[in-house]
Amino acid sequence: MQTPEHASPPRWPLALLRFFIRDQYLEEIEGDLEEVYFELLEEHSGRRARWLYTLEVIRLFRPNLVKKLLSPTHHIHLDMFKHNLTISLRSYWRQKSSFLINLIGLSTGLACFLLITLWIKDELSMDKFHTHDKQLYQVMEHIKGPNSIGTSTNTAGPVAATLAEEMPEVSIGVTARTKSINPNTLSVGDVNLKAKGLYATEDLFRLFSFELLAGSADQVLADPNSIVLSESLAKRLFERADVATGKSLELAHETALTVAGVFKDTPASSSLRFDYVLPFESWSRENTWVNEWRNSHPQAFVLLNEGTDIDQFNEKIAGYVERMTEGEDSHRQLFVRKFSDNYLYGGFENGVQSGGRIEYVRLFSLIALFILMIACINFMNLSTARATRRLKEIGVKKSMGATRASLISQYISESTLLAFLSCIVALGIVIAALPTFNLITNKELWISLDPYTIGFLVFTILGTGLLAGSYPALYLSSLKPILIIKGTLKSSWGEVLVRKGLVVVQFALSVILIVSVWVVYQQIQFTQNKHLGYDRDNVLIIEKEGKMETPEAAQTFLSELRRIPGVQGAASIDNTMTNSDWRTNSVEWPGKDPEDRTAFEIIQVDYDAIELLDMEMADGRTFSRAFGSDTTAIIFNEAAIRHMGLEDPVGMRLDMWGGTPEIIGVVKDFHYESLHEEVDPLIMYLGDRGRYLTVRVDGQRTKSTIAAIRNLYQEANPGFVLDYNFIDDEYAALYAAENRVSTLSRYFAGLAILISCLGLFGLAMFSAAQRQKEIGIRKVLGASYIQLIRLLSLDFTRMVGIAILIGLPISYYLLRNWLNTFAFSIDLHWYFFLGAGLLALLIAWLTVLLQMTQATRVNPVESLRNE
Amino acid sequence: MKVTKIGEFEELVLMTVIVLQKEAYGVAIRKELQERLNTSVSVGSVQSALKRMEDKGYLSSEFGEATAKRGGKRKKIYSATPTGQAVLVQMKEIRSGLWNAMPPFQVDFS
Repeated sequence: MQTPEHASPPRWPLALLRFFIRDQYLEEIEGDLEEVYFELLEEHSGRRARWLYTLEVIRLFRPNLVKKLLSPTHHIHLDMFKHNLTISLRSYWRQKSSFLINLIGLSTGLACFLLITLWIKDELSMDKFHTHDKQLYQVMEHIKGPNSIGTSTNTAGPVAATLAEEMPEVSIGVTARTKSINPNTLSVGDVNLKAKGLYATEDLFRLFSFELLAGSADQVLADPNSIVLSESLAKRLFERADVATGKSLELAHETALTVAGVFKDTPASSSLRFDYVLPFESWSRENTWVNEWRNSHPQAFVLLNEGTDIDQFNEKIAGYVERMTEGEDSHRQLFVRKFSDNYLYGGFENGVQSGGRIEYVRLFSLIALFILMIACINFMNLSTARATRRLKEIGVKKSMGATRASLISQYISESTLLAFLSCIVALGIVIAALPTFNLITNKELWISLDPYTIGFLVFTILGTGLLAGSYPALYLSSLKPILIIKGTLKSSWGEVLVRKGLVVVQFALSVILIVSVWVVYQQIQFTQNKHLGYDRDNVLIIEKEGKMETPEAAQTFLSELRRIPGVQGAASIDNTMTNSDWRTNSVEWPGKDPEDRTAFEIIQVDYDAIELLDMEMADGRTFSRAFGSDTTAIIFNEAAIRHMGLEDPVGMRLDMWGGTPEIIGVVKDFHYESLHEEVDPLIMYLGDRGRYLTVRVDGQRTKSTIAAIRNLYQEANPGFVLDYNFIDDEYAALYAAENRVSTLSRYFAGLAILISCLGLFGLAMFSAAQRQKEIGIRKVLGASYIQLIRLLSLDFTRMVGIAILIGLPISYYLLRNWLNTFAFSIDLHWYFFLGAGLLALLIAWLTVLLQMTQATRVNPVESLRNE
Repeated sequence: MKVTKIGEFEELVLMTVIVLQKEAYGVAIRKELQERLNTSVSVGSVQSALKRMEDKGYLSSEFGEATAKRGGKRKKIYSATPTGQAVLVQMKEIRSGLWNAMPPFQVDFS
């Protein structure tokens, strides 16, 4: 009953059988099975026979019949791996100094790399946590001036709502004052707290993914008399966050509000951080000007539908403001930008995106790579240099039949093992350094061993191992065994060139870092020490709150303040002196170009304020109680006079705000913004309604004076806590980003130089060891110490010299670009470069000297005794 | 007396090999065993026992002729080595010693 169909056993069990049965049993068992199959066929149907046959095959899975798991070839790989490991460990052990140099260098390098990566990862993830991130856009304005285009996040109040209503692409629009997150006093019973909050329209929590713990996203901001608190603020006010909803509290001791909801504290990955939110309406009903299209103040955010063409949309909304103001404000162009882009790509120049924080991200990525590269170069150099000592090993291995691939894998595994060890040390360093690093970078970074991080670490280890091991592996494995064993092998010219080239690259990078650190530091010092046109030391700024907002109470308080010993002056002012804050373009002067929309900064000052801040007058006089008419007088700064082209301005009258104030003086230009900005035209006028109090205290007894001020404040303004800032601190804060960069680059440059020096030290050690006999002979022949040192260090001097020549022009170019971001900057003096070059040379010499001195001290007998 | 290690199934296979003489190859051994034990025996268990005993030195083997039924593959003919035979004798002696030492079975009819 054999049919052709069943003429032979089914194929796949047979293939399985052939795969797992030991080769020496295969013929016999296969034959047996075939016989069994035909017997089965005689008794059963074809299908059943096949099934029983398959069962027989499966039951052949017995330990003594199947192939051994590790066949002989597998064993070789395992053995070679073990062998490589042993060799690596032995070579580390035997050459402890170069192992330590490599380990220290590579682990510091890796630690820097990891820290910077953590920081970069955090920077890149800023504001990306919002669920609608891809559709979340901010509406911004380009403002065309006569010569340039400015860009601002300030928009007209109705923008967001109007866009949401009229544009089919926009589903949600939110207006918020995200730029003015100011502290305010909140109180429940006796508890008075200062917290920072913002005003926003209803859909804030629907648009942004700030998680609500209580209250619903579309309801919490509906009632103008409500407030939404952060979890931690709710805890501080009500002791428990979950009982806060529905309770009432007082804002600034004047407005009673009901808590409508509680949101989870804004995460560190958010650029918007606030403790509470108030309905926008509660602010706009007192500031109705914000509802006019002619004014620009709050920020607007929109949710665009998926698939919206941004360019097309921008074209559609560009002329919006012009239309809404009936052609009046044709210079203001609306456009939208992805909200999460604003954090990194915040810079605009002449209407085009340029720069922003991304520049620091790029800078530090570069530094991270530099440092890792320097560390890898150390490894490459030391292992090729050291290789001469291991040449015999390679020669013997090659003679015994080692393939090139196996030698390459030996060296790669050696460097990967080192990278692995370094990575462990580096992780230790990172964990130890993170608190300090967080302090400097003002972040909350932490290393967590999630799969992503582990993957990244493995990748880094393999990458570093490959990078560091590639050159020695390729070079050493290419050597001819006969030459090695005969000992006639000399370092080829090319090899020496590569080694020297790598040292040159290392030192060029170090030189660039030295110059950069120096110049950045100088520039920061310059910004901190520059005379700003007023005296900012020991001046307090206090925001007016509660009773202080009534001018009479403020005046009484000020006059009492002046009586405190240690207070040298006190006045009311409407600017914190560190921010541009209020501008107007409605100043008219003879010969004004009708297209000129230059906005003049306006500061309302009280009597004495100019004197208190120690500003100098270029012309005329300051406001004085002796002149009754000063309420209609104004003072310009020099920049304003230059801009208007006025000659002999004092005594002139101009049209402004529907009046004709008289110019009574011209104040010398002073900086009221960061030095990134030019000093723009400015007007000062007299008034006692400024939002701030400014007090100059005696620098000798600051502490006691502030204590006295605090007591007085509490009496005069019950229920409010004195909150003050020193102008010089605020001014320093303007350069927080630069300061951070300066501090960090100082650390990283130091480490980079240290790692380079380690490498140089290792090379010097090696070259001294190689020339040990030569040194011995020279000493015997009467060479002096100095001559020997000169001889030995000449090579290194030359390399470092070339590195300096390469590094300096590059650093000049880089720093020129950086300084150009400041309107006021230091000059790049020649001595920065000369100094950095000399410093690099000096460091290199010291490193080499340290090693050479030891080498030249060896008694010639020791080095010449044995051959 | 040193007891040599041999399992019960191995012992049966070893005896079958001796019984079958020149015809002692895998399939024949299996068939013989199936008939005598009146149960199905897998190729795997027979082969495994054969290989084990070959390793222990109780069996030797040589390739026999190839038949068309086997797809041209040669048979492997097994035969017991002197060690193997000695083991069988030893096992038999142990057994008969034990039989002799056993009291007669008491059949309880109650």
